[in-house]
Amino acid sequence: MNVETKDTLKRVGAHAFLLGFIAIVLIPFLMVIAASFTKGNLAPSALWPEQISMEHWKYVLGIEYEEVANAATGETRMIKAATPPLIWFWNSLKVSILASIGILLLSATCAYAFARMQFAFKHQLLNNLLILQMFPMVLALIAYRVILEFLGDYVPASGLNTHIGLVLIYLGGISMYIWMIKGYFDTVPVSMEESGKIDGATPFQTFIHILLPMSAPIFAVVFILSFISFMSEYPVASVILQTSEQWTLAVGANYFLYEQEKLWGRFSALAVLSGIPITVIFMICQRFLVSGMTSSGVKD
Amino acid sequence: MGDAAVSIKALDKVYYDDSGKPSFHAVKGIDLEIKDGEFMVLVGPSGCGKSTTLRMLAGLETITGGTISIGDKVVNKLSPKDRDIAMVFQNYALYPHMSLYDNMAFGLKLKKLPKDEIEKRIQEASDILGLTPMLERKPKALSGGQRQRVAVGRAIVRHPKVFLFDEPLSNLDAKMRVSTRAEISKLHQRVGATMVYVTHDQVEAMTMGDRITVMKDGVVMQVDDPLNLFQNPQNMFVASFIGSPPMNLIHGRIEADGDTFNFVEDADSHPITIPLSGEVAEKAAGRVGQPTVFGIRPEHTSQRPISGCETTIKASVDIAEIMGEETYVHLKLGNHILIARVLTESRIAPEQTLEIHLNMAKAKLFDPETEAVL
Repeated sequence: MNVETKDTLKRVGAHAFLLGFIAIVLIPFLMVIAASFTKGNLAPSALWPEQISMEHWKYVLGIEYEEVANAATGETRMIKAATPPLIWFWNSLKVSILASIGILLLSATCAYAFARMQFAFKHQLLNNLLILQMFPMVLALIAYRVILEFLGDYVPASGLNTHIGLVLIYLGGISMYIWMIKGYFDTVPVSMEESGKIDGATPFQTFIHILLPMSAPIFAVVFILSFISFMSEYPVASVILQTSEQWTLAVGANYFLYEQEKLWGRFSALAVLSGIPITVIFMICQRFLVSGMTSSGVKD
Repeated sequence: MGDAAVSIKALDKVYYDDSGKPSFHAVKGIDLEIKDGEFMVLVGPSGCGKSTTLRMLAGLETITGGTISIGDKVVNKLSPKDRDIAMVFQNYALYPHMSLYDNMAFGLKLKKLPKDEIEKRIQEASDILGLTPMLERKPKALSGGQRQRVAVGRAIVRHPKVFLFDEPLSNLDAKMRVSTRAEISKLHQRVGATMVYVTHDQVEAMTMGDRITVMKDGVVMQVDDPLNLFQNPQNMFVASFIGSPPMNLIHGRIEADGDTFNFVEDADSHPITIPLSGEVAEKAAGRVGQPTVFGIRPEHTSQRPISGCETTIKASVDIAEIMGEETYVHLKLGNHILIARVLTESRIAPEQTLEIHLNMAKAKLFDPETEAVL
């Protein structure tokens, strides 16, 4: 075998491997899209629907549509969701955006303190935060429920079955983001801020005018990650949000999967819908993901 | 005391570890007077406390003990912006998201200066530094030398009493370093402000400083003008730190031979004997039998006889480095290597025996215990 054939074989092999890999990623996604356009609530089975139908999308978007109720008589009936799933979509969007903004504010300021200030027990605190993070939020579910119940007695707007309450709980999971942002702050040379100090900026002005604009990439990453995780978070939301008009997408989607009847079509339409804001947020944040923001002002 | 003179008295800096125990004594009670309008260079090996001293002067480090005054005002408790100083950092520390104009304007805007005043000052500074055509650019689009010039510009627009430079040339390549060095010297002549300049490079120190403070382990070794520092080092550290190559320091003892005194090297075999004459002979008179260090600069040796100096040694060549017009010859003594600077006349071969004349008028004797000059 000469070098050229060997090379060709290698290339074919590599391409086959990569194509297979892409298929693993793409095929389930395409199947879900197909299922959302397939007539009848069937589990996804093909990449292309046999009979294209908008019924699931109409249902999800809260549009009335006609359905054959009895195939023998040809009798039809009008169907409209009692609680339009689109409301869940807005709920999800609201909770995820609020929680992500909150996460960003809290973790950025915490990370600044951990990265730049000297205080007692700093290292112990940082490490304990990381250990705490290893316990999934679900483990404290019952505690969250009780706390919100208690809180609701005094501040009804943030009690059980409210979005504010859910956001409050979500804000508790910031330690990973603190670590991420701290890691980034550590790479920003201290002389930047010292330079600001000599220029007469207060610590807060230094943070706002110098450190924040330089840290846009990591903030974008944190925002995307937390947004995605909250869009798809199910266990906590399902316990806190009790009535269907308060549900988020993840909770609502699960509602379609009864023990007796699994409405895969509606579920799929909802799943595709939930992917849209994630894509949009990602596209917005991508602009800030420019690498080398810090590399231009200093030389090490 | 002048308006922008800097007076440092018994300045101390101790770093503490997390548990509050002192971990490092960086600056040990130094005294230093910097005159109004003077270009003072702090030089020393890394860890000698020169940067810490500058940062305390800037207000970026707290002061453990002693006082720093700028003008007639003690500034210990003042924040950097109230000290009337500007600082240029080693890594430039430009704000990457701002244009050059905004980089220079940032401090002035915070000071709430009127807009036309800001514009005037930036115009003036960028004219001096040749930055006018690129004011709208971001630092990313500049070369290292240009970035450092912006950093200098940011200092100029503040119209400070005292400029502080923290190794500003270390990140530039060799060529850029030489030209920027000259620019900073010119800037000093032009604005006439007090400048304090920290470097570990003795060539920078010698070429730029009106006076030089040599530091080691948190202590000032000598404060003097460049020429004096070169000719009259007060101790062995300064002698070996200033000059390139540094002063030859040979350990040995003084022996009397009738009326004359000889310096005899400490060596296991073939110690060299240097007959002393002139001033060093007088100083040697009181130290017969005592350990002593003999110092001579490579520049004060010659292959040709030096008038008024009869001291000649013979030694074999270890290596010879041809620098162009002159050659540095490494001569093997008993235990030491003596570097001699000779004019390049022909290639000098290793192992060849060479006769070298030493200029005794320039030689120094040191006490090896105190390391001070005799």
